[in-house]
Amino acid sequence: MKQITLAEQPWLGVGRTVKVTADGIRYRLFRASVTVAVIAVAVAFLMNILSESLIKRSIATNTRERIARMRLVYSWSAKLTNPGSPESILHDLAGSPEGSSLYREIQTHGKLSDSDIGTFHRGAVQAITYLEFFNDLDYAKRRAMIHTARGIQVFHRLRDEKGMKQFRTALSQIKSVRFITPFEDLEQFLAGVPALEDHAARVLQGRRQAIAQISRALGSRQVLEALVDAEGAFGATVRQAGFVFDETDVAPIVADQAQRLLDVIRLEKTMDSEKCRQLIAQQANVMPADVNVVMMWGYLDGARFATRYLSRMQDSGIDTSGLNVERVTELASARDETAALLDAERLTMDAGSGFMGLGDRLAWLLFVSLLVCGIGICNAMLMTVTERFTEIATLKCLGALDGFIMLMFVLESSILGVVGGVIGAILGALIGLGRMLVAFGVNFVRAIPVGDMLLGMLASVIMGMLLAAVAAVLPSYKAARLAPMEAMRIE
Amino acid sequence: MDEHSTHVSAEPAAGPAASQPSAENASPGQGPPTTQGRVIIRTVGLKKSYLMKDVVTEALRGVDVHILTGEFIAVMGPSGSGKSTFFNMIGALDSPTTGRVFIDEVDVAQLTAEELAYLRCHKIGYIFQSYNLIKYMTALENVTTPMAFGGVRPDEARERGMDLLDIVGLKDRWHHRPIEMSGGQQQRVAIARSLANRPSVLLCDEPTGNLDLRTGQEILDILKRLNEKQNVTIICATHDHRMMNMCDRLMWIRDGQIERLARRDEVHIEVGSIGGQTE
Repeated sequence: MKQITLAEQPWLGVGRTVKVTADGIRYRLFRASVTVAVIAVAVAFLMNILSESLIKRSIATNTRERIARMRLVYSWSAKLTNPGSPESILHDLAGSPEGSSLYREIQTHGKLSDSDIGTFHRGAVQAITYLEFFNDLDYAKRRAMIHTARGIQVFHRLRDEKGMKQFRTALSQIKSVRFITPFEDLEQFLAGVPALEDHAARVLQGRRQAIAQISRALGSRQVLEALVDAEGAFGATVRQAGFVFDETDVAPIVADQAQRLLDVIRLEKTMDSEKCRQLIAQQANVMPADVNVVMMWGYLDGARFATRYLSRMQDSGIDTSGLNVERVTELASARDETAALLDAERLTMDAGSGFMGLGDRLAWLLFVSLLVCGIGICNAMLMTVTERFTEIATLKCLGALDGFIMLMFVLESSILGVVGGVIGAILGALIGLGRMLVAFGVNFVRAIPVGDMLLGMLASVIMGMLLAAVAAVLPSYKAARLAPMEAMRIE
Repeated sequence: MDEHSTHVSAEPAAGPAASQPSAENASPGQGPPTTQGRVIIRTVGLKKSYLMKDVVTEALRGVDVHILTGEFIAVMGPSGSGKSTFFNMIGALDSPTTGRVFIDEVDVAQLTAEELAYLRCHKIGYIFQSYNLIKYMTALENVTTPMAFGGVRPDEARERGMDLLDIVGLKDRWHHRPIEMSGGQQQRVAIARSLANRPSVLLCDEPTGNLDLRTGQEILDILKRLNEKQNVTIICATHDHRMMNMCDRLMWIRDGQIERLARRDEVHIEVGSIGGQTE
C-alpha cells in the first residue's frame, strides 16, 4: 500500500466566508427577511418586557424618593411635638448607622458618651431583631410564648424566671419555629436590658425637654406655621434644642412643603365660603351644596378660573396674601402630581421581584417565546438547507470542508439574528417606553433609565444572535455531513 | 470485428472476486491503448448497492478498470446502467459497498474528511450536466472559489481565474452571474472552474446533455483542446456520438458491469449503432 501523501485542506479565510454567506443571504432576500421578522418579534418581546421592568423599577425608586421628600414635613412636625416611646427610640437607633444624623441626635438628647451610645446602638439592633422575631409569629404562637406582652414588656417578661420558662417550653413544643440566636446570646442580651431601658429613658427625657423648648419658641403658632420659617430663626431654635436639622438639605424642603401645606389648607378652607362655592357650582353646573374640594382643584388647574376664583376670595373677605394665579395653578397641578406619585407607588409595588425583576409569570412567558422563536429559526434554516442541497454538494465537490459548510450556515443565521435583534430591540424598547409613559404619565420622563435600557438592548441583540446561532447548529450539521452525491440525488 | 480483443478486461461473466487483478499485473491486462504511461485511476472489484425500502438494487457489480494520465475516455451506456454511480465512485463523491478506488495510487476509502476535501479540490475537476454553478456568485467568483478553498491568495486567484475564463472565451463576462448567461456559457464557466486548481483528472457527467448541437460542439472542442495541449485526463459520460470521434478509448457500461472497453480506432462508428451495438 502506497503512503498517503495528501495534505490537509486549509481553512477558508473569515473575510471570504462572510462574503460568501452575505452574498447567499442577498440572493435569497425574501426568505431571509421572513427569518429576520421571526427573530425581530421574539427579541422585541424580550426587549419590551425587559425595558418595562427596567423603567418600572427605576420609577419605583424615583417615586419612593419623591414621596419621602414630600413626607419630610409631616415627619418633622411629628418629631417636634411628640417625644415617642422607648420602642420607637430603639427602632430609630437600630435603623440609623453610626454617625448618621439620627444617631447623633439621639446621642445629644440622651447626653450619652461615645461608648454609651455604642453600647446602646448594639443593644437596640439586637432588641429590634428579637422584637421582629416575635412580631412575625402568628397570634397563637406568640401568645403561647410570651402571652400578651408587647414591645419592651417582652423583655421584662423574659427576664422573669417564670416567663422565660414558659417561653422555652413553648418553643420546644412548637416544632415549626426555630429561635434566631442561641439562648446564651438572648440571656446575655436580657442582662443588658436595664441599661438599655435606662438609656432609652434618658433619650426620652432629653427629647421631652427639647420639645418643651420648641413649644416655648412656638408660642401661639402651630408647628406647621413655624416650620415655614425652617430656614430662619425657627430652624436655629430646632437645632439649638438638639435636633439634627440639616440647614442645606432638609430645612429648605421642609419650609417649602410647610408653606405649600398651609396654602392648600387655606384654599380648601374657601369651601366654607358660600360665594366661592357658588362660583364653582356655576362652573360645574351643580347645586352649591354639592360642590366639593376635588371639583375646586379640578378647576383651579386653569389660569382663567384661578384668577376669577382669587378675586372672588377677595370679595368674600378671605385673605389672599401670598397667593397669586401661578401659585394656585401650581398647587393644583402638584395635587395631580401627588396623585400620580401615589398611583405609581401602587403600580410599582411588585417591581423587582422574581427572575431579572420580571416576576415569575413574565419570565415563563419569555422563556416560551424564546423557545418558539428558536424552533422557528431552526425550521427556517432547515428549509434553507434543504433547498440548497445542490449548492452544498457543489461546494463540497470544489473542496469545501465540512466545517466551512457548517460555519456558513451558522454565520448566516447569526447575521440574520443580529439584524433581527437590532430591529426587535429598538421596536421593543419603543413599545415598552410608550406603554410605560401611558401608564405613569409624563411626570416620570426623567426617571427613565437610559443607560440601563441601552444595556438591555445590547443584551437583547446578543440574545437574538445566540438564539439564531444555536438554532442553526442542527440544520447546518445535517448539511455538512451530507455526502456530495447523496445531496445531488435528493435534488 | 475485433472488439473482443484483449482490451476488454472486465469480463461480465466472471465473478467479482475472480476478476480482481493484482496491482502488479493490472496494466498489461487492461491493455494500455495509448502512449502515456502512469495509471491515474484504478478500481478493483468495485461494487455498489443501494438499499431502498427492502429491495437491494445493485448499481455496480464488480468493475475493474485502469485509466492512464492524459487519456480521454468516453463512458457510454443506457440510463440506469450504473454510469453515474461509477462516476461518483471514481470521483471520490461516494464510497463503494465493496471494492477499492485508487486515485493516484491512493486508496480513497482510507482518507479522512479533510484529505478527501483536498483530493476533490486539487486532483479532480467536476463538470455536471446541469452546470451547478453557485447562483449568487459571478463567473469569476465561481472560478476562484475552489482556489480559495485550496488556499490561493485572492489576487493570484483573480489573475488565474481571468486566465481560465480567457481559455473558455468568457473573459469579458467575468462579472456576470449564472442567471445572466446562456447554458453554453454557464458550462464554459463550469469548465473553467473545474480547472481552477490544475486537476489531473476531469470528470464530466454528460457535459453536453443540456446543450444544442453547436454549443455542445464548442464545449467538446474546449475539452479536446485541454486534453491535447494540457494533457488533462478526461473521463466523460456521454450520449453524444461526436464525443466518440475525439476520445482515445470508449467504455460501455450495462447492468453495472463493463460491457466493452475499446480503443477508438478499433470501433466502427455508424449512425445509430456503434460497432454493431445499439446504444
